[in-house]
Amino acid sequence: MEVMNFRSLIIFSAFLRVLLIVYGEWQDTHMEVRYTDVDYLVFSDAAALVVDGKSPYKRSTYRYSPLIAFILTPNSFIHRSWGKFLFSASVNAVKDWISVKDQYLRCRLSRSDIDLLVGYFIRTILKLRGVPENLTIYSVLVWLFNPFTFTIGTRGNCEPIICAIILWIIICIMRGNLFQGAVWYGLVVHMRIYPIIYALPIVLTLDPNHFQRGKKPAIVDWNSRQHKLNETSNRLWVFFQSIFTRSRILFGLISATVFFFCTGIFFYLYEWEFLHEALLYHLTRTDPRHNFSIYFYHIYLNYEREFAVLEKLISFLPQLIVQIVLVFRFAQDFPFCFFVQTVAFVAFNKVITAQYFVWFFCLLPLILPWSKMKLKWEGILCVLVWIGAQTHWLFWGYMLEFKGKQVFLQLWAASLLFFAANIYVMITIIRRHTYSPVFKRLVTSRTKKIT
Amino acid sequence: MEYQGFRVLLHLRLGIMLTLLAGITYCKHAPASFSELFRRHKYITEAYFQKHETLIDRAFQDFISSELSHVFCGKQNFMPKLSVMQRQLIGEGSHRRLTSSVKIEIQPEVISSLSCEAIVIERLPSGVFADPFELEHLTGRGVFSGASAFGDTDLELPTVRANRSVVEVHVDLSPNSLSGNKNSWELKIEIPLHARYAPLGKHGYTRVEFESPDLFVHCVDEGDTLNQSCIFSSTDEGVRTSPHAIVWEVPSGIVKHTKIVSVLTFIAAVVGALSVFMACIFYSEVSVYNGTKQS
Repeated sequence: MEVMNFRSLIIFSAFLRVLLIVYGEWQDTHMEVRYTDVDYLVFSDAAALVVDGKSPYKRSTYRYSPLIAFILTPNSFIHRSWGKFLFSASVNAVKDWISVKDQYLRCRLSRSDIDLLVGYFIRTILKLRGVPENLTIYSVLVWLFNPFTFTIGTRGNCEPIICAIILWIIICIMRGNLFQGAVWYGLVVHMRIYPIIYALPIVLTLDPNHFQRGKKPAIVDWNSRQHKLNETSNRLWVFFQSIFTRSRILFGLISATVFFFCTGIFFYLYEWEFLHEALLYHLTRTDPRHNFSIYFYHIYLNYEREFAVLEKLISFLPQLIVQIVLVFRFAQDFPFCFFVQTVAFVAFNKVITAQYFVWFFCLLPLILPWSKMKLKWEGILCVLVWIGAQTHWLFWGYMLEFKGKQVFLQLWAASLLFFAANIYVMITIIRRHTYSPVFKRLVTSRTKKIT
Repeated sequence: MEYQGFRVLLHLRLGIMLTLLAGITYCKHAPASFSELFRRHKYITEAYFQKHETLIDRAFQDFISSELSHVFCGKQNFMPKLSVMQRQLIGEGSHRRLTSSVKIEIQPEVISSLSCEAIVIERLPSGVFADPFELEHLTGRGVFSGASAFGDTDLELPTVRANRSVVEVHVDLSPNSLSGNKNSWELKIEIPLHARYAPLGKHGYTRVEFESPDLFVHCVDEGDTLNQSCIFSSTDEGVRTSPHAIVWEVPSGIVKHTKIVSVLTFIAAVVGALSVFMACIFYSEVSVYNGTKQS
């Protein structure tokens, strides 16, 4: 039974987001606690500085590529119809009625457009893999009506832009548009460092058995998903034998060129301030302030002394081991590999804020059609465990930050519990996943000779 | 000889008189450095930080004394009386509001010819900061006519890595806002403040104490063709301040937790990594589609 068609789904989601944005404007005006994310004000102020010909880094705590500020500048000088280009006609009427004057409001509406674009890309990927329409709609619903994602988007967070680019890269790879995929990959790593963790699975996916000159890659249909482990072992051996293939070298060169080109341009414009705030800060960040990470209290208690190099390496080791084992286990099913890598990256990171969850929420719909997990009751249990652990942490965080109680130990224990919840959910998803490589092996005369 | 002696005496007296006249003129009109200050800077504190890198109480007080000696405005001499009636720290947790009730008494007859503003300077103690963008937002909403933070305004640094900062707030004193008997203004100034992560301790809390604010009344004589400005500071006589010290107890980490927290954190990370490792290694060798999608 068809739940609803995709167009109705998008329109309904758009209305929901517009309502939230209107509510957000009301809350910002009438209540002490603002609806708008603080980061959103940072982005908008940085964009306004760029329009004035100044460095976006004059805005304190702006720690992103200037590209993001550049993307938001049209809201300062283009007519309010800037957002209309990205929305369907029915939503334009609502926006006109709302009378978009404030540049902040225009910014937020554009951010919600990207939210909907992510939903569209999710559908595209699932359709490319032959997933039936009903399953596709259910999967897209998980993104469009996820309370985290629509509140983060309507509060003005920029993560949906990164999600949209990553999904577009997946689409490019699936369609064999490696040049375009490489350009976008270089760009997204410049904008946000974390997608660098996808480099190895992408390289593994660019297997010469899948990508051959003059041929589009053949995608495994959803209806025929089954796989044997020994093929994966063989592929790892083949990978090490023929690591330097044309598609791998080209992808690496193009994405590296784009990354260094963007980095070079902005270094020329904004010099060391850009390099430090947009790149080095994220690589060396150790924030002692409370956050979901299990490391926050350890960092705070040791903040007055410098960590030794050995200590830093040891703390990085669990993250490294997990990333390597996930990549070599699941690389050929690269949407799933991206998902579990991202969950692990966030869980083992030294700093975790709520916006990081969007990084894997946009990938979750891509793996659902291949999961044997039933919503009742295994799925619900995972959701409750994850949300419960997070709520528990938030309670202690509230007691510390808004009631001024000395509850550092309890808060740190809550972060351990949240970490355990993340590991539990990740392992459950892995165990219930039907491993399905994206691409079929292309049959060539050489392949026939070997077999 | 006598004539020459008389000439020397005359020149001496003339010299003394000229010096006195110059001194009176200096007092009567705003000193060049003072007028320059308000011409070049909207905020007093901005001028301080042009000459000094960090906030040092002694240096700031010397700066106030040397740059902002009060000047009489207009044809009449007058001295407003500035007092802080009450100081309070409102709220709980890491985000609070420092409120000061300020009374400025002034002769009614001079109000009409002057345009005045109250300036409150809070030299914040180490461990507390104000968000300049939040102050800008309040100014945009009309709560203040001007407000900014100076010094170390990095929002993220813990106390051990941060320097002190200063908040300067300007509030217009219009005749319409005079209190009932029309010879004083009563202002309630509320400044939003945030606590930094405190240095580690043994007991779990760090005490942060606030000093009294520096108060000024800055006036421009509208009848003066030169539009000179003058200023009265709270270091003058007749200022009363609230005797009660304002204290903020900020939660801080406990040193004796260090070892156990570090050890358990690493154990948790290793156990988590091993769990994921085992799950991947023992992942089912053959995963087969069973024909229906499980919902």
